[in-house]
Amino acid sequence: MPEAAVFQGLSWNPLTDMHQLFAYPFMVNALEAGTIVAVMAGVTGWFMVLRRQTFAGHTLSVIAFPGAAAASLAGLPLAVGYFGFCGFGALALAGIAGSRRSLSAESAAIGSLQALALALGFLFVSLYHGILNGLDSLLFGTFLGITTEQVVVLLAVAGAAVVLVAIAARPLFFASVHPDVARAGGVPVAAMGFGFLLVLGLAVAETSQITGALLVFALLVTPAATAHQLTARPVLGIVLSVALALAVTWLGLALAYFSIYPVGFYVTSLSFGSYVVVRVGRALGRRRQLTARLALEAA
Amino acid sequence: MVSVRLGAGVLAAIVALSAGCGGRSKSSAAPASGALQVVAAENFWGSIASQLGGSRVQVTSVIASPATDPHDYEPTAADARTIAGARMVIENGIGYDPWVQKLISANPVSGRIVLTAGDLVGIKPGGNPHRWYSPTDVQLMIDAIVQDYDKLDPKDADYYAQQKTRFETKGLARYKQLIARIKREYHGVQVGASESIFAPLAQALELKLLTPPTFLKAISEGTDPTAADKTTIDHQIADKQIKVWVFNSQNSTPDVKRITDAARKHGIPVTSITETLVPASASFQAWQSHQLQALAAALAQGTGR
Repeated sequence: MPEAAVFQGLSWNPLTDMHQLFAYPFMVNALEAGTIVAVMAGVTGWFMVLRRQTFAGHTLSVIAFPGAAAASLAGLPLAVGYFGFCGFGALALAGIAGSRRSLSAESAAIGSLQALALALGFLFVSLYHGILNGLDSLLFGTFLGITTEQVVVLLAVAGAAVVLVAIAARPLFFASVHPDVARAGGVPVAAMGFGFLLVLGLAVAETSQITGALLVFALLVTPAATAHQLTARPVLGIVLSVALALAVTWLGLALAYFSIYPVGFYVTSLSFGSYVVVRVGRALGRRRQLTARLALEAA
Repeated sequence: MVSVRLGAGVLAAIVALSAGCGGRSKSSAAPASGALQVVAAENFWGSIASQLGGSRVQVTSVIASPATDPHDYEPTAADARTIAGARMVIENGIGYDPWVQKLISANPVSGRIVLTAGDLVGIKPGGNPHRWYSPTDVQLMIDAIVQDYDKLDPKDADYYAQQKTRFETKGLARYKQLIARIKREYHGVQVGASESIFAPLAQALELKLLTPPTFLKAISEGTDPTAADKTTIDHQIADKQIKVWVFNSQNSTPDVKRITDAARKHGIPVTSITETLVPASASFQAWQSHQLQALAAALAQGTGR
C-alpha cells in the first residue's frame, strides 16, 4: 500500500488520520502493545489501589529500571530484565509484607528497597561501556521500536495474569477489603497477597516497556484511582479503570505519532487530567448536594 | 474541538483494532517521486550517499544538526516513519546508533537493504565506531553504497558508475591530496587527542597518537577517565612530547577543556574536529578537508616544518 506509506501530518479528517495511524507496521505494533498493557494495568491497578499497595507498585516500577539497564548490559532483550527484576522485586516485597511488621516499618523497608534499586540501576548504566543508548526511553517511555515478537510476549504474559486475577477476583476482593473476615471464612489471605504482588510485578514490567519505569503510574494508578473516585462497585470500577487506561493510551499514542513530543508525557498528562476532572466534578457535586440540603432545611 | 475529532479518530482505531486490522501486512515502500528513497542515520554517511546517488536518489539524514549528539540520540515518530518508508537504510553500527536497528525490526519491509558500516569493514561492537574518520573505510562504504544502488535500481547502473568516478576523482580530490600531503610531510609526528574519533585518521595519516587509548575511549563513551591516564596526558603536555593537540569540540568535557587550555598554555598548537558535519550544510569532503587543512597548519606550527 504505497500511497498509505506517505505521511502527510494531521489532516483533522478522522478517517484520513486513522488511515495514517495504521499505515506503518511499527505503529500497529505500538497500538497493539499499548492496548494489551492498558487492559492489564487497568485491572491490576484497580486491585492495587483497593489494597493500598500503591507504594509497593511504585517500588516495583523503580526496580524495573535496573532490570532494563542490567539487560542492556548483558546484551539480553529488555523484556527479560523487566520481568526478571520485577519478579524478584515482587518476591522481596512479599517477604517484607509477610513478616507482619507495623505498617510504618513495612513502608520504610519498601522505601529502602526502592533506593537500592535506583542505585543498582545507576551502577549498571555506569558499567555499560559503550553508550547506553536510550536511557531516557528506559525512564520515560517510548513507543517506537516495538516488534511483533514483543507484542506476542506482552499478550501471553498479560493474558495469563488477567485470567489469574479473574479466577481469584472474588476471594481477592474479599481478602483486600475484610482480611480478618476473609481469613475466618477460609480464604488464604497471605497466599492471595503474595500472588497478587507477583501479578503486580508482571503488570509493572509490562507497563514499563511503554511508559518507561518512572511513568508506570500513568497507567497503573491514575486510571484506577479515578475509577475508585467514580464508583465503589467492583465490576463497574474495573471496567471503568480499563476503559480509562485504554483511552489515555490510545490518545497518547495518537498524539505522540502526530507530534514530536514523547508518548510518556501525553499518557501521563491525559491520565492526570482525567483524575483532576473527576475530583473537581465530585467536589462540585457534593457542594451542590450540600447547598440543596441546606436550602431544604431552611425551607 | 481537537479532542473531539481525535476522540472520533481513536474510536475508529478501536474498531479497526478489534476487527483485526490488515495493517500488519509488510508494506513495500515504493518511492512517491520515482527517486530511490534512502535514509542515513548520520549526515556524514548521508552526504556521501547523496553525492553518489545524484538525481536518482533521495537521501534523508536523521542526525543532521551539529547540536545533536549522536551518542545519546532518541528517535522521534518522524524518524520511524522515514525509516519505514525507505528502500535502503545506511547506519554506522558498532553500538553507535542502536536505535536504527530497533526502528528497522519494528517495521519490517520486504526488499529493503540495510548497509551497516561496522559490519562492512569488520569492526565488532566495542571497537572504535568512528569509521568515517578512516579514509580506507570511507572508500569501502563508497563501493558498497554504489553496489546497493545497482541492486535496487539496476537500470541506472551506468549513471551510478559515473557518479562514483566523479565523486572519487573530483569530489574527494582535495580530501585525498591533504591526506597524502600530511602523511608525506609529518608521518611519525607525535600528537595527542581528546577522543577515539581521531584515532582512525591518525592511523591513516601515520601520526603517532600518544594519548592512552583508554582515555580516548572513556571520553568518547562519556565515562570518567582514570587519574593515571590524566597524569600521563599532563606529562605529555608539560614535556611537550606531543606537537599538536586535537580535540572534539562537540564532545568537550571539563577534563578535555582543562587539557586543551594546558596545551595552549604550553604553546602546543590546538586544533578541533567534530562528530558530524559542521556546518550542517557542508559536504562530507568540504568538512573533512577544512579540518585536515587546520590540522596541517597546526602540524606545521608545532613541528616548525
